[in-house]
Parts: sequence; structure tokens; C-alpha cells
Amino acid sequence: MNAPLPIQIENLDFSYGQIPVLKQANLSLFDKDFVCIVGPNGGGKTTLLKLLLGLLTPQSGSVSVFGEEPVVGRKWIGYLPQYASLDARFPVTALDVVLMGRLGKTRGIGPYRKNDRAAARNMLERVGMIQLEKRPLATLSGGQRQRVLIARALVSSPKLLLLDEPTSSLDDYVERELYDLLQELNKEMTVVVVTHDISFVSSYVEKVICVNRQVHVHPTSEVDENIIHTMYGEHVHMVRHDQEQQHG
Amino acid sequence: MAEFFQALLQHSFLQHALLAGLLASFSCGIVGTYVVTRRITYLAGGIAHCVLGGMGMARYMQVVHGWAFFDPLLGAILAALTAAFIIGWVNIQAKERIDTVISAFWGMGMATGILFISKTPGYGEDMMAYLFGNILLVTPHDLTIIAGLDLFIIVIALLFHKQLVAVCYDEEFARLRGIKAPLFYFLLLALTALTVVLLVSIVGIVMVIVLLTLPAAIAGRFCQRMGPMMALAAGLCALLTTSGLALSYKPDLPAGATIIMLVGVVYLITATVKKC
Repeated sequence: MNAPLPIQIENLDFSYGQIPVLKQANLSLFDKDFVCIVGPNGGGKTTLLKLLLGLLTPQSGSVSVFGEEPVVGRKWIGYLPQYASLDARFPVTALDVVLMGRLGKTRGIGPYRKNDRAAARNMLERVGMIQLEKRPLATLSGGQRQRVLIARALVSSPKLLLLDEPTSSLDDYVERELYDLLQELNKEMTVVVVTHDISFVSSYVEKVICVNRQVHVHPTSEVDENIIHTMYGEHVHMVRHDQEQQHG
Repeated sequence: MAEFFQALLQHSFLQHALLAGLLASFSCGIVGTYVVTRRITYLAGGIAHCVLGGMGMARYMQVVHGWAFFDPLLGAILAALTAAFIIGWVNIQAKERIDTVISAFWGMGMATGILFISKTPGYGEDMMAYLFGNILLVTPHDLTIIAGLDLFIIVIALLFHKQLVAVCYDEEFARLRGIKAPLFYFLLLALTALTVVLLVSIVGIVMVIVLLTLPAAIAGRFCQRMGPMMALAAGLCALLTTSGLALSYKPDLPAGATIIMLVGVVYLITATVKKC
């Protein structure tokens, strides 16, 4: 049986008014891929994400998510927005945040049900945050908050996890822990991470998707200074990874 | 104070005033918390000032054209809902410079009210009551409308609290989970508009935004969840409107302004104490 691909983009063009953002983009992701999307600011990373999530519509070409239009297929996507886009002092607990991920599944009227709470606790357990379930969001560290938001993304049982710069605010140690968690989750679902920090991520992911007006896919082994320089220009320094840093 | 409570037993206008304040506190706590956490204070201010247009027009129709049914409170509800809808729609369409658009409606709403009132025979005392409130003029008829609106707001908030919280925290995520986020955004603005109308009868258009947002802001310093924050904000609103009313009685001060000063002082104290 030929299952539809998690993400399939064909000949996609997108522009904001006169300004073209993506041109003739093509991309296919397969089940259980672990990839990262890199590219300069303004290169179209966020636009690509919004197209996948059905928040924008392409001028031409097609986007499909598990064989459906993004507005339909996005129910299988677990999404982690950019850190800075959310109010860190919003008056909710860790559990309250995870419960929001049950919105499409729970009843429309009245409070969340028992099984919603059970599912939410389950996911907090999964990301190692269950002992902090009653803690207000404002009292959590950056890494803890990201785990809670990942639990929120997971609680709708997604088949594709989409994370927008999940580690931009975290220090290296916490970042590594978070990627270990993602690697664990990758056993069950496709994982797509948008990041600036290609040097770190390359030891985890199999493919690197470069987005700068165009979309190119490279196996991680191919990502060398030439590619980085084409993407970002001459002034970028790359950190080399030794073999012993490879995981798995 | 003692005189206030003595007078309270004798005068029904004081009882009505007290009841209006207590009733409005429920909505004030609930909706104020949404407004503060969603950061739409300025938007709520815009809606509030548009209310003058509706009240002025209703009064004009009553006096000049004899539309007895067109109560200024009814005009206020219509104007507030219309303003909420238009401002919300502009906000969703145009992502930029929404504050400029709100300012335009803010001013035009007031201008509409002033134009109508200037063409209404009388001494203009209506305008003073609309702008600065006159809680002592609350009639039993007003109380019925206030109670009805209050009940409506509480029921909606109880039924759709989880969607409203989700839209306040992360509208985009709510949308991805299949929630009709624009619908709930408009619902939130409609609740805000109705609450503004309730509070206008107590403190008037100019100061209403203080009573809507500061009790919730004070509560936010002590509460880490939406529910308790709403309860504390409602309690504070009830306590402060009652105290303001009582304080203003003997020296014959305007009740609205006294309540606002009290709320403001409590806010400033909690803001500084917590920071120390």
C-alpha cells in the first residue's frame, strides 16, 4: 500500500504582493524523516511553515500534507510556534497549556473532560514534566516551557511534528536534551525542525532543507562549507563535528 | 461610612446604585481578565468611546422623534457591538497600525455623540452623565438590562472558557486545532463591548477602561491561573465600587470619579509593593 507522504510540495510559487518569497519550490518528506529547515532570515522559512499549516495559500503549485490540503491535513501536525510569539507570563499552568492541544478532540461546550486531562498528563509524563504539571507557566525555565509546548503539540496524536526554532532561547546542555527527546519521538513520527543552528542539528538529522527563495534538500553528510556559503554568504563560520558526536 | 449605610436603608436610589455595581462586578472580573491577558486594552478603550455615539443618538431619537423605546442604554449596546465588530474586522484584515484605526473610531464615535447631543433640546446634563457616569441615576429598568447582560456574559464565558483562553494565549495554535479562532475573537470583543456598557452606567465612558482592566491587572499580580484571577478581579471590583460609593456619599463627591481614584490607588500600591 502506498501511504501518502507527510509533506509533498510541487512547483510552488508564493509572493507577498510584488515580493517573491518562494519560487518553484519542490519538496518531499517521507514517513519518520528527521529533517531540519535552515536558511537566512527573510529566506522563506516561516512562509514555508505557514503554507504547510494552511495559514497561507500558494499563488501556484501545490502543497499536500498526508495527501490532503493543508487546512485538512494539519490536524495530523503537532506544531510548536516560535518561543518569542507567546506570553511567558500568561496565567495558566503547565497542564492548562497541554490541554489546549485537545481542543479539536474534546467537546465544543463546557470544560475539558477527564479523558482530556488523562491524555494531557500522559504527554507531560512523556516529556518528563509531570511533576511540574500544576506549576504556573511564569515559573518554568525556558527548557521546561518548551517541553510543555511539545507536550501540547503531541497531545493531539500527530503524525508530523513541526517545530519553529525550538532551541533559540536555550543553552547548549538543554538544547541537547531537547534534541534527544525529539530523536526519541522520531521513532513514531516525522520530525521537522526549523533552526538557525545547523552546526548542532546536523548530528541528529538525516536531511537538511535549505530555504532561500528556493528549496534544496541535502543529506546531512553533504552539508559542507560550500553549501553554507551559498546559503548565508561568505562571512559565516561553520563548526565542524567530529565523528564521536554522532548519536544513535 | 455609617451615614452611608443608614441612607442605604432609606433610599432606593442608593440600593439601585449598589446593586448595579455588584452585578457589573461579575462581568468586570471575567471579561477584564480576558482583556488584560489578550492585551486589547486600547481596543476596549476604542469601543468604550464609541458608546457615546450610540447614547447620543438614542437620546436624540427619544427627545426629538419621540422614539420612547430607544433607551440610551439600548443605543449604547448597539454602538458598542457595532464598534467591536468593525474594529475587530479591521484588525483581522489589516495586520498593521491597528492603533491608528482604533483612534479614528475612538474620535468619530465621540464626535457622533456630541453632534447628536448638541441637537437635542435640554441642558446637556445627559452628556455629563454619559461621560462621567452617574450611578445614582440607575433606574430599576436599567437594573433589569444590567442583570440580563450580566447573565448572558457569565453563561457564555462558562460555556466557552476553554476556547476563549486558547484564543487569548495562542490564537494561531487554536486555529490549527480546528477552533474557529476569528469567531471566538469576535465573541471576546462582543463580551468586551457588553461589559463596557455595563460599567459605563457606573463610572461613565471616559473612565470605564480603568474599571474594566485594573481589577484584573491587580488580580494578575496574585493569581497564576485564569479562573482565580477572574474571581479575585470580580471581588475587587465589587469591593472597590461599593467602597467608592460609600466614600463619596457624605462629602457629596461624584461616585464615578471616587471609585476610579480608589481603583487607581490600589493598583499603584500593589504595583509598587510587589516590585520592592
